[in-house]
Amino acid sequence: MTEISVATSVPNAGAPPSAVAGQDERAKVSVRDLNFYYGDNHALKAINLNLVANRVTAFIGPSGCGKSTLLRIFNRMYDLYPGQRATGQVMLDSQNVLDPKLDLNLLRARVGMVFQKPTPFPMTIYENIAFGVRLYEKISKSEMDNRVERALRGGALWNEVKDKLSASGLSLSGGQQQRLCIARTIAVRPEVILFDEPCSALDPISTAKIEELIDELKEDYTIAIVTHNMQQAARVSDSTAFMYLGELIEFGETNKIFTSPTDRRTQDYITGRFG
Amino acid sequence: MAVQSTGMEAAAGPYDRAKALSAFKLGDVAFYWTTRLCAISVLLILGGIIISLIAGAWPAIREFGFSFLFTQRWAPANDPPILGALGPIYGTLVTSVIAMVIAIPVGIGIAIFLTELCPQWARRPIGLAVELLAGIPSIIYGMWGFFVLGPFMANHLQPFLIRAFDGVPVLGSIFAGPPSYLSLFNAALILAIMVLPFITAISVDVFKTVPPVLKEAAYGIGCTTWEVVRKVVIPYTRVGVIGGIMLALGRALGETMAVTFIIGNAFRITGSVFSPGTTISAAIASEFAESDGLHQSGLILLGLLLFVLTFLVLSAARLMLMRLERKAGN
Repeated sequence: MTEISVATSVPNAGAPPSAVAGQDERAKVSVRDLNFYYGDNHALKAINLNLVANRVTAFIGPSGCGKSTLLRIFNRMYDLYPGQRATGQVMLDSQNVLDPKLDLNLLRARVGMVFQKPTPFPMTIYENIAFGVRLYEKISKSEMDNRVERALRGGALWNEVKDKLSASGLSLSGGQQQRLCIARTIAVRPEVILFDEPCSALDPISTAKIEELIDELKEDYTIAIVTHNMQQAARVSDSTAFMYLGELIEFGETNKIFTSPTDRRTQDYITGRFG
Repeated sequence: MAVQSTGMEAAAGPYDRAKALSAFKLGDVAFYWTTRLCAISVLLILGGIIISLIAGAWPAIREFGFSFLFTQRWAPANDPPILGALGPIYGTLVTSVIAMVIAIPVGIGIAIFLTELCPQWARRPIGLAVELLAGIPSIIYGMWGFFVLGPFMANHLQPFLIRAFDGVPVLGSIFAGPPSYLSLFNAALILAIMVLPFITAISVDVFKTVPPVLKEAAYGIGCTTWEVVRKVVIPYTRVGVIGGIMLALGRALGETMAVTFIIGNAFRITGSVFSPGTTISAAIASEFAESDGLHQSGLILLGLLLFVLTFLVLSAARLMLMRLERKAGN
């Protein structure tokens, strides 16, 4: 029923005033006038926002609003599929991510991604971590052991797997697999980590562990997380962006978004009246 | 009227239902037995073939025993005939192995290109061409091999390879002259072309089963396409790929017509792949029509050997797959 109120509210043209709320000189990633198309479908419309270093930025909004699409632009994952294109500017430090001449492998080393479903590679736990490291660095066995241990500790998984590093990554439970994927991501020493609904396939205990981990990770990384779970967004993030139908409706401090949103649609969404 | 009819229906209900159910049950029993007979017929046919092969081969088994396996000489016109299967067994194995060595990388290469790299518009034409390759009757491969490939090989590739490896210890004798229109190597090359579509088609199918998100995850830590294929796609699908390879190997071992055309039907083993040879199926095809008595029995025994050989290869493949699966499960 509340769709009506949504449909009748005036869409914000261009950048809403609140979109600049997170802007400061520590912006790690800054998005300017970003438009994205799946073929003829205009999926993201004039997005402007900043991801601030050492902060967690959450993206919320109903299914199909473009939040995952936005995330997949930050590491150019959309490039794998023909017919998808982006216009505008996404600056990672001083480099435009959308630059067609950019080395994608290096970009993805700087911008890691954790997916909705755990995606361990079909190899041992050790290899799952070492594999990524080996892509960029030639290091000795003992150094590699070190890196693997540090990554697994970083992924809060070390204590559970230290005795079975040669077991298949697929033998772990779903929550452990997801932490393995996080460990694998941080092993390559990225600067930004993107989480695409990292807990949607996990039970509450594993979810709590991952959230705790995200909180620790922000000391060293810039983090963006897409989530359907609004409590999760409220718990883990510093800034929250609400997206709807391909537009960034509201962006600001998480506290403010969840307590006194300025836009009617944000309020409707976070109070569960639609979405 | 309406009331009455509903009353009657209610009264007739349980009776009708039981009758209807028993009719279903009869149908079910008939269905069960029909499918069961279908399944049993496979066993009967297989058993019948094995028994008639053994029966037909029995005179030769009694005459030659195990020496049949190790004798190189094949002299059916002798009195008494001297028959040995070493030449055909050697030829079968050598042509199949060479064919697989050529077809596996090329076939998997095509599959990788089609699933991971090929632009969308080119996928269908190339895929279709591979399927058409599988549809070409083997007799046509035989004629092409005889009239086109054989002369080309003998005039160009073979002299080149012979010169290139002249004097090299082991390879020198494998690629030894003189060049020949009819040779083991030509037969292997034709076999490679024939089994290529099997390997490609099955590899394409299993490569498509790799979840996109798994590939994205690998790209996401900065893998190149080559690394994604080698470290993720192939390990994830190796069971299926090996299945395709084994299917292809089974076909290569038994392929008859094309090979008979171009292998030269020589029972002598020379060690060079450029010399004429024979395979089990080619030997049977070229001699069976004019054979009788012990000679015919010997050919049937060859057939039995091919059957056993194929069975062993397929069992070995099964075992390997089971081991791989167990390893992946742990």
